[in-house]
Amino acid sequence: MVRIKHRYLLINILYPDPKSTSGRPATKPGDEVPYTVQFRRPSPDRMDGGVLTRLIRDGVAELFGDYGSGKVAGSLQVKYFSQATSTAIVRVSRDHYRLVWAALTFATRLPNPVGQPCVIQVVRVSGTIRKSEEEAIRRARLSIRQAEAAAKSSNAATAGLAAATPQLLSTEDDDVDMINGIEDPDDPRDIEEDLDDEG
Amino acid sequence: MAPGRPAQSPHDGGGGNTNRKRKDAPTNPQHNGPNKRPRQHIDQRQKMRIARTLSTQTTSTAFQNGALDVSSFVKSRAYEIQALENGLQRSKKALNERAFQQVPKELRRRTASHNVKRVPKRLRVRAGREMAVDNTPTVTARRRKPSGHMRLRLETVKKLRALGAKRKAEKDKPKDATTTELLPKDVQPGTVTTAIRTRIPKVKKSLLATPPVPKAKFRKRQIHKSWLPTHLYHAKRARMTAPSAPIWRYAVPLTPTAKSYRPTHRASHDRGAVAWDMSYMSTIQLEGRESSVLGMLKAIGVAEEDLSGRKSNKWRAGVRVLDAFLYERESPHELIAPVTMVWCVYDGTATVMEKRKRKMFLRVHPSAFYQLWEEMLRLAKVAKPAVSVEDLRFEIGSIEITGPGATEALLGALWPSSMASTSNDASDAAITGMDVDATSDHPRSESVGETWQKLAGLTNPALLPQNALLGFNVQDPRLHHPPRTIALLKSDAEQHKLLEISASWPVDAAQKACDIFDRKARHSASTSLPSQKAVNRRKGLAAPGEYPQALPKDPRVPVLLYSSSNATPTNSSKSRQSTAHNGSWTLLAPWKCLQPIWYSLMYYPLSTGQQPRFGGLDQKRQLAFEAGKPWFPGDFPGTKAGWNWECEDRRRRESEWRKRPRGKRVSYEKVELGGGKKGEVGVGWACDWERLLNVPPVIEEAALAGIEDIMDVDGPAEKAGDGTTPAEKAVEDNTKPAEQEKAKENILPLQATPKPPQLSQLSARQALALLASPEAKLPPHINLTSALVTVRLTLLTRGVPHPCARIYRLPTNDPDLRRQWLALLPSNLPHKKQKGSKHALPRLPKDASAHVVQQRLAQSLLEPPRAGEDKYPACPAEEDLVGFITTGNYDLGEGQGTGIGSLLVDRVRDGGAESNVYIVRNAGTGLGRLARWEVA
Repeated sequence: MVRIKHRYLLINILYPDPKSTSGRPATKPGDEVPYTVQFRRPSPDRMDGGVLTRLIRDGVAELFGDYGSGKVAGSLQVKYFSQATSTAIVRVSRDHYRLVWAALTFATRLPNPVGQPCVIQVVRVSGTIRKSEEEAIRRARLSIRQAEAAAKSSNAATAGLAAATPQLLSTEDDDVDMINGIEDPDDPRDIEEDLDDEG
Repeated sequence: MAPGRPAQSPHDGGGGNTNRKRKDAPTNPQHNGPNKRPRQHIDQRQKMRIARTLSTQTTSTAFQNGALDVSSFVKSRAYEIQALENGLQRSKKALNERAFQQVPKELRRRTASHNVKRVPKRLRVRAGREMAVDNTPTVTARRRKPSGHMRLRLETVKKLRALGAKRKAEKDKPKDATTTELLPKDVQPGTVTTAIRTRIPKVKKSLLATPPVPKAKFRKRQIHKSWLPTHLYHAKRARMTAPSAPIWRYAVPLTPTAKSYRPTHRASHDRGAVAWDMSYMSTIQLEGRESSVLGMLKAIGVAEEDLSGRKSNKWRAGVRVLDAFLYERESPHELIAPVTMVWCVYDGTATVMEKRKRKMFLRVHPSAFYQLWEEMLRLAKVAKPAVSVEDLRFEIGSIEITGPGATEALLGALWPSSMASTSNDASDAAITGMDVDATSDHPRSESVGETWQKLAGLTNPALLPQNALLGFNVQDPRLHHPPRTIALLKSDAEQHKLLEISASWPVDAAQKACDIFDRKARHSASTSLPSQKAVNRRKGLAAPGEYPQALPKDPRVPVLLYSSSNATPTNSSKSRQSTAHNGSWTLLAPWKCLQPIWYSLMYYPLSTGQQPRFGGLDQKRQLAFEAGKPWFPGDFPGTKAGWNWECEDRRRRESEWRKRPRGKRVSYEKVELGGGKKGEVGVGWACDWERLLNVPPVIEEAALAGIEDIMDVDGPAEKAGDGTTPAEKAVEDNTKPAEQEKAKENILPLQATPKPPQLSQLSARQALALLASPEAKLPPHINLTSALVTVRLTLLTRGVPHPCARIYRLPTNDPDLRRQWLALLPSNLPHKKQKGSKHALPRLPKDASAHVVQQRLAQSLLEPPRAGEDKYPACPAEEDLVGFITTGNYDLGEGQGTGIGSLLVDRVRDGGAESNVYIVRNAGTGLGRLARWEVA
C-alpha cells in the first residue's frame, strides 16, 4: 500500500502595522519593549485556524483558479494555530504544497472578521509533523532567549523570568542567523527540498 | 501560565485505530447511524484525535489587556514549547505498538498476539484490553470449537471410549461370578491375603537397550524414534528433526526458533552459557577384571601410553576422563569414533591390580554406537576373564554446558545431598586415595560435593586440571526451583582459595565410587523422585523465601560431572590460544532425573544477567567450528558414521539444488576452472571423495581393484534405491559425455555403496607424527594413499569457504602458476606492515599531496591482482586436488573465513617450502583463495 504523502508548513504571521494590531506596547515610560518582542506580535482573538484555512483557500483560488483550489482542497488542514505566538502548522499534500506556499506568501491581509494587514512567513517545510513541531520548539526557545537578552540590556523588569524557564532554554544552543531580530527565512534545507520537488 | 484551553490529559491506552488487528468495515459517514458502530470504537478514535491535538493559548489570556511586554511574551512562548513537547510525547504513545510487540526479542512467543497468557505478566492487562477492543479475545484450547481433523479425532476417541467401557463392563461381569465361586467363603473378595513378591528381573547384559515405554498419549509419536528427556521443552522452543526423518533414531533439536547464531557465540565466549541436552550420546558399560578391560581397550586401539603410562594413572584411578579414538579390531582397522572413557573408582579391597573387578563407561556418538557395540561384544566374548558389556543408552542422559556462566548455572542447579546419611564416608575415602600418587598426602577434609560448591566463581572449567571429574549425589532440583543466583566470590582471598582448589584438586583424593555406576542407585533415584504435587506441598510448608529442608529420605540423584577443554594440544595459531580456551562441562545423570535438572539449569538467573541459552545440533557444530575442532561425525568422512552423514548431506544439498529452477541454480557444468577447463570437479553438491580417490591423473592399480570390489558388494537395498537414481541424473546433467563416461561408471556404484573401503581417517595424533617425520611408525595396516587427515584452514586473504569447497595444493606441475599464487601471499607483499584493511592499500586522505598520490599510483601498479581481475591466477588442475572442506563459514571469533576439512595425507606430505599454504575454491565458483592449514 502506498502511503499518502504530506508536507507540513510551519508558518509565522507577522503584523507590520502597529496601529491596528491587538498587542500594544506597554504605555509606561520606563517599559521600553524590545524590538524582538514587538516584531512577533500575538494574533487578534478572532483569528483562528478556520480563518487561516479560509485565507489559504481564497488565496489559492485567486492565484490558481479552480484547478488550484481543487488540488489543494482535499488535503489542506490547519494542524496547529497558536494565537499568542502567531505560529501555525499547515498540512497539504506533497504534490501541491507550493500552491499553498504561494498563496501564503502573497497574502497581505487577514480575511474579513479580522481584517488586518499581515505578512506570512513559511519558515519550515517538512515531511512529518514531528519535525515541524521540533522546529517550532527550537524557534520558540530562540526567541525567548533573544527577548531576555534584549530585556536585560535595557533595564527590563523580567528578573523572575529567567528562573522560570531555564530548562526550556538550556538544551538548544545553535543559533539561527539573525539580522536585526529577523531570521534568515531561507533555511538551506528548505531550498534543497524545493529543488528535489522540481527535479 | 494561564492556559486558555486546559491541556488534554495524555492517553496511553490500548490499540489505536491504525494498528488494530481487526479493521472496521469502511462505512459511509452519511449513512452511519449512531447505532451502527459500537461505542468503544468511537472512544478509540476520539482518544487518538485528542492525543494528536495540541493545546493553545489565546491572546487575551496570554497578554493581559492586550499589553505587549517581555514577561508575557516569554511566558506565551514557554507555554507553546510545553504544549508542543507534550504533543510530541502523546502522539508517540498514541502511535502505540500493541503489548506483545513491546516484548524483547528473546521473550517473544508464538501466538502471543492471540493469547494473553503468552505475554509477560506486566503487559498482560494491557494486552487483554487491546484484545477486548479488537474483539479478538483469547481462546483457550479447552474452549475452542474443534475444527476439521480435530473433530474427527475427537469423535473417534469418544467412540473408542464408549466401546472400551462396554467391553470392560462385559469383561468384569463373568469374572466376578467365577471368582466368588472359587474363593473360599471366609475370605472377602478383593482383599489380598498374601503379598506375592515378583521376581526382580535379571539384568540382561550384552543386549541392546530398549527405549523407555512412553506414556500412551505420546507412544504413537515415538515408534521410529525416541524422545530426549527434555523433548517437551525443546519442542516448544526449537526446530526439531522432522517427524519422518529423525537423526540417529532420536528427535533431536536442530536449532532454537529464535535467532541464535550470534547470541550463541556471545554466550559461549563473552557472557552467559549455552546448554545442550546430549542424552542422545550413547553409553556402554564394561564390567570385569581391570586387566581384561584394559586388554579390550588395547585391542580397539587405545594407545599404549594411555593404558599403562604414568601420565594416565589418574584416568585409571577413576578421577579423570580420557578422550581417545577407537578403531576396529579387524583389518583394515577402521576408525570408529572418538570416545570418552571413564573408570569407576575402585572401592573394594583387592590390592592386586589384576584381580580388581571394575566398571567403565564408554561414551560414544550415537552414529557410531552400533559399530562400537558390535566390536565390544565381539571382544568381550574372547576376553578372559569375561567382561560384561551393557548398553546404558536410555538409562543415562547427559547435558553439556559451556560458556563463562556454565559453572555458576550448574552450581545453582546441583545441590549436593547432605553427607549425614552415609556414615562410612571416611573409611571409603581412605581406600580410594591409595592409587592416586600425587595427592595421597593431601589432608582429606571435604567430600566431592563440598569441593563442588567451592567452585563458585569459576568462569572457565579449563582452569581445572584437564579432564577433571566429579562424581557425587545431588538433591532433587525441584526442591530448589526456581533457582536463585548463587553467592559469588567477592574478595581476593576467596579468589585465591579457588585457585588453590584448582591447583591441588582435592577431588582426586576424595572421589569414591560414583553412584551413577551403580544400577540400583540409578534405578532408585529415578523411581523415588516424588511427584510434583508432593514437591509443591513441601515447598508450601517451607518458610517464605526459604527452600524446603533436606530430609534424610530424599532421593539422591547420582551425577557425574566432567570438564573438557576445547583446547586441542595441536593448537598453534596464537589467536586461538588466547580466545578459544573455553572449557565445557558434561553432566551425566539418570535418564529420568535429567528433566528436572534441565529445567533448573534453564531458569537459573545468571549473575551477569539473563539465563543460560539452549542450543541445538547446529549450535553444537557452530561452537566446535569456532573452536577449530572437528565435529564428529560430520568432519570425519573417513569413518563409517561420517560417511553416512556425508551421504545424507549430499542428498539434502542435491534436493535443494534440484528444487530451484534451472536459471536460478548454480550450473556446475559451466563453472570455469581456469586454463580453459570447464565444469565442476566431481559432483558439485558433494565432497566428492570418490572422485578424489579414483580418478587421479595416475590411475592406481589398488584403487581400480577397490572399485571392482565395491561393484561386487551388495549395498543395503534401500540405500541403493535411494542413491542411484539422483546420482545418475546428476551425472547426466553435469558431465560432458566424452571424457566423463568413464567417471560415470566409476562414480555410480560408489554412490550406492556405504563407503569406499579404502577411505580411512587418521587421528590428529597419527597425522602429526606422520607429518613431522615421513618415516614415522604407523600401524602397518594404514593405507596411506587413501588416508584422510582432518585439518583446519584459515583463509589468508578475503573470502569465506563453504562446505564442499575444493582444496588444492599449490600447483606442482606448473611452476609459473605456482609463482603467481605465491606472489599473493600476504607475507610476500611489500606493504604488509601497514595498518588498515588487510585486503587493500590503505585509503589516502583527501588532501594528500601530489607526491603521495604518485607513490600510491606506483604502489597500486605493483599490487598483486585482485580476485576477479584477469591476472588473478587460475585454479590448479585436478591432479593437485587434495581434499574438501566439510565445515566452513565466517568465524565470528577469528573475524574471517575459516573452515574444517579433510585432506588426502599422501598428497600433503611432500609439500616443500610453502607446505602449509593451500588453495581453497568453493564449489560452483572458479575463484581460488589462499589458505593456511594445520592439523585439527
